[in-house]
Amino acid sequence: MIPIEAVIVLGLLLFAIGFVGVVVRKNLVVMLMSLELLLNGANVILVGLGRRLDSPRGTIFAMFVIIMAVSEAAVGFALVLAYFRQKKSYDVDALDDLKG
Amino acid sequence: MFVLIPLFPLLGAAVNGLIGIRGFSRRAVGATAVGAAGMSFAAAVAAFVGLLRSAEPAIVKTLFTWLPPSLVRTASGSLASLRVDLSFHYDSLAAVMTLVVTGVGLLIHIYSLGYMAHDKSYARYFSYLNLFTFAMLILVLGANLGVMFIGWEGVGLCSYLLIGFWFRKDSASNAGKKAFITNRVGDFGFLLGTGLLVYALGTIDIAGIAAAVEGGALAKGTATAAALLLFLGATGKSAQIPLYTWLPDAMEGPTPVSALIHAATMVTAGVYMVARLHVLFSFSGTALTVVALTGAITAVYAATMAFVQTDIKRVLAYSTISQIGFMFIGLGVGAYAAGIFHLMTHAFFKSLLFLAAGSVIHALSGEQDMRRMGGLRARIPRTYRVFLIGALAISGFPGLSGFFSKDEILASAFASGQYLVWALGLAGAAMTAFYMFRLIFMTFFGEERFTEKAGEPVHESPPVMLVPLQVLAVLAVIGGYIGLPRLLGGRAWFTRFLERTTGAHEAGLAPGTEALLMAASVAAALGAIYAAYVIYVKKRGEPARRFAERCRALYQTVLRKYYVDEFYGKVFVGGVFAAGRIADWIDRRVIDGLVDGTAGVARRVSRLAILFDERAVDGAVNGVGKAHLAASSVLRRLQTGHIYNYALAVMLGVALVITIAVAVF
Amino acid sequence: MITLAVFTFFAVLAVAGAVLVIVQKNVMHSVLYLAFTVLATAGVFFTLQAEYLGAIQILVYGGGIVVLYIFVIIIVNLKEVVPERRSLLPKLVLVAVPVAVGAEVAYLLLARGFPVAEAGGEGMGFETMAETLFGSYLFPFELASVLLLAVLVGAIIIARRKLIHDPD
Repeated sequence: MIPIEAVIVLGLLLFAIGFVGVVVRKNLVVMLMSLELLLNGANVILVGLGRRLDSPRGTIFAMFVIIMAVSEAAVGFALVLAYFRQKKSYDVDALDDLKG
Repeated sequence: MFVLIPLFPLLGAAVNGLIGIRGFSRRAVGATAVGAAGMSFAAAVAAFVGLLRSAEPAIVKTLFTWLPPSLVRTASGSLASLRVDLSFHYDSLAAVMTLVVTGVGLLIHIYSLGYMAHDKSYARYFSYLNLFTFAMLILVLGANLGVMFIGWEGVGLCSYLLIGFWFRKDSASNAGKKAFITNRVGDFGFLLGTGLLVYALGTIDIAGIAAAVEGGALAKGTATAAALLLFLGATGKSAQIPLYTWLPDAMEGPTPVSALIHAATMVTAGVYMVARLHVLFSFSGTALTVVALTGAITAVYAATMAFVQTDIKRVLAYSTISQIGFMFIGLGVGAYAAGIFHLMTHAFFKSLLFLAAGSVIHALSGEQDMRRMGGLRARIPRTYRVFLIGALAISGFPGLSGFFSKDEILASAFASGQYLVWALGLAGAAMTAFYMFRLIFMTFFGEERFTEKAGEPVHESPPVMLVPLQVLAVLAVIGGYIGLPRLLGGRAWFTRFLERTTGAHEAGLAPGTEALLMAASVAAALGAIYAAYVIYVKKRGEPARRFAERCRALYQTVLRKYYVDEFYGKVFVGGVFAAGRIADWIDRRVIDGLVDGTAGVARRVSRLAILFDERAVDGAVNGVGKAHLAASSVLRRLQTGHIYNYALAVMLGVALVITIAVAVF
Repeated sequence: MITLAVFTFFAVLAVAGAVLVIVQKNVMHSVLYLAFTVLATAGVFFTLQAEYLGAIQILVYGGGIVVLYIFVIIIVNLKEVVPERRSLLPKLVLVAVPVAVGAEVAYLLLARGFPVAEAGGEGMGFETMAETLFGSYLFPFELASVLLLAVLVGAIIIARRKLIHDPD
């Protein structure tokens, strides 16, 4: 039997690594990949808790997260392509149209 | 069957919004929208007849389970099963509201056909209007706070869309944002109140809450807190102190929108919600007193601002705020039926007034300033007649609808022993009569102060606009008779019908006292109308100008809406400004390692200090604008535009929330 | 015991892969490590007896998303190396925040303990899962398909060269 604590720590680690990737890296594509890591971390925790409560809901929610991740990747790439066409760069620092 | 009522507007909105916007002719768009509103009204009438026939006090219809049951530990430590259904609830209160929303809504849809005839975004407009009707009906019919919240947010969204309908105009899009953000503050109160009820009772079903409260499951303090939080939501939606500032600005939207949303329906959402949760408010007692006082103060306060406005729609906007204050007085003294009665009559005469004002504006090709009107009585006689009826009704002229409903509220306030509330209410009623007739006299009497543009003579509106006005005028006259008090030989049918839902409320006044109160409010209304006549017709507004001249400071204060907008700007924007300064410092020092950040901030602080000096010397108004500029120049530093900074901010927020959670639990 | 060992093995692989994803300079290498992490996570799912999800993870993530990443990198010819931030201090701060959050969550969750399954939980078998998914969660499930359709359309429109003009 796998202790729930271990699962949660694993999930948190993946989440934290993903988050660090999002904020530290400046390459748009790597940022998107980090988002996938982040979602994976959440999935691990969901599945772990589902197992703990002996309920299928954890798995089902993880499935919805995967569906969302697919959508996010598809739209994200479309945005990357559109962005690249405009700025010829992947540097997020060039992405500052929201600057006040 | 009543579930069909909100379905038609939703279909109408979908058809017009998805298909109509691309290919429909104007005729088809109009037919779809009006047809949807009409069918919805027909369904509402059918449901109403069904309710009258049935012996059941309420019908509940559950469509499906929205959130499956989950265990929550309530404050008392017991486990409750929280389950939220998508379910609707129809009783006499909901019946009245659906009839008002769909009935007045239908008339306004018809009126819009004429008023918006020349607008480019015809389909978009009608799609929004249908969507609004749908959201409002969901709000009214929702059987639990969750479903109600969908409608609650929905009307807020549609209000935003419609206020900012002419979004290419800066003032319109700003007014839309202001309405949305102000409402957001109130909505947050609503959510917190709902959360508190979940925490305390483990249910958000309205019937369940009522049962739990009556069963004594709720402590008085908790009930008061929950009721006050929910009431904060009501003040946002119903534009009461302190969250009323958005409503006058909302007049940037098309006039039929002002009539439908900002007079007849959405702003009454708060009133409806309090009446719907009357068990909770009654149980708390304290909350009820707060409701009554807020209503009474708002009624008078908003009326003072209506005195000095010169924009015809803004006068009506402040009048709306004031009238909703009356409704809250009714609720706050426990006379729920009286409050809802006034809600209904107000829907008739206020939408009449707004639409008639729209007709005036239409006649003058867009002029809204009353100082450039005058003498229109002979030029647009039909509009004048319906406008006069509306003004008499709102002033409480004996025999018209406003008289009965307002009188019932004042009588209930007096009977409850809250004489302060009653006195404020009476003063508000007199002031209402005064400013309404100031408006009438400035607009329709005296010499003509407008200049006719070549090619656009002053013209009466087309029948498609006048007919709804005439229907509303008839309603404004006879609407009161369904609630004719016993004293005048009636049977107070409306009150008894509503009391099937809200429980009996006896005013308990001796007939003599009641007659005396009635005489007092009639005297106040007639006196105020006469005063307005003397000042604005006989003396051509001279006394008013002299008064404004003499009490310049007072006049300016009222004209500037008591500087509340400026105050909110300063306190809230200023608060963010301080936070921005701190965040700016961290951002520069830590993230980018810039050393000169501190110097810049210090410079800005000193600039602000100088500004403050100037302000203290120069006095109020000028400096506030500058402070805004300075604040925004610092605040914009916070918006680096870099996505990772925003992500970091989100994460810091999460960290803070979790820290609080760790500390508390 | 064996399960725990397998779990630990996959967990270490996943974390190591994740770290490598975010430290690689070359994007292509990052993608390969991402695939690595994804597969290791699928292994974790298997040890947690969520075989179905593990399979989906391999199919959708390993087969779909990772390949999509590779395609995009090839299409846009991602040779340019984006200059990263140089100074160490901001990086440390940025790392510290999620770590602190993680520690807090861990503390909050672990210190309290977890509820065990009530007597006779629903079970995690395929049958229960299917019944729940197509029962209680039918509506969200259908909504998910609407979402995917919207994404399909949206991605095409965004990635198109020409902007469509607003007819309004």
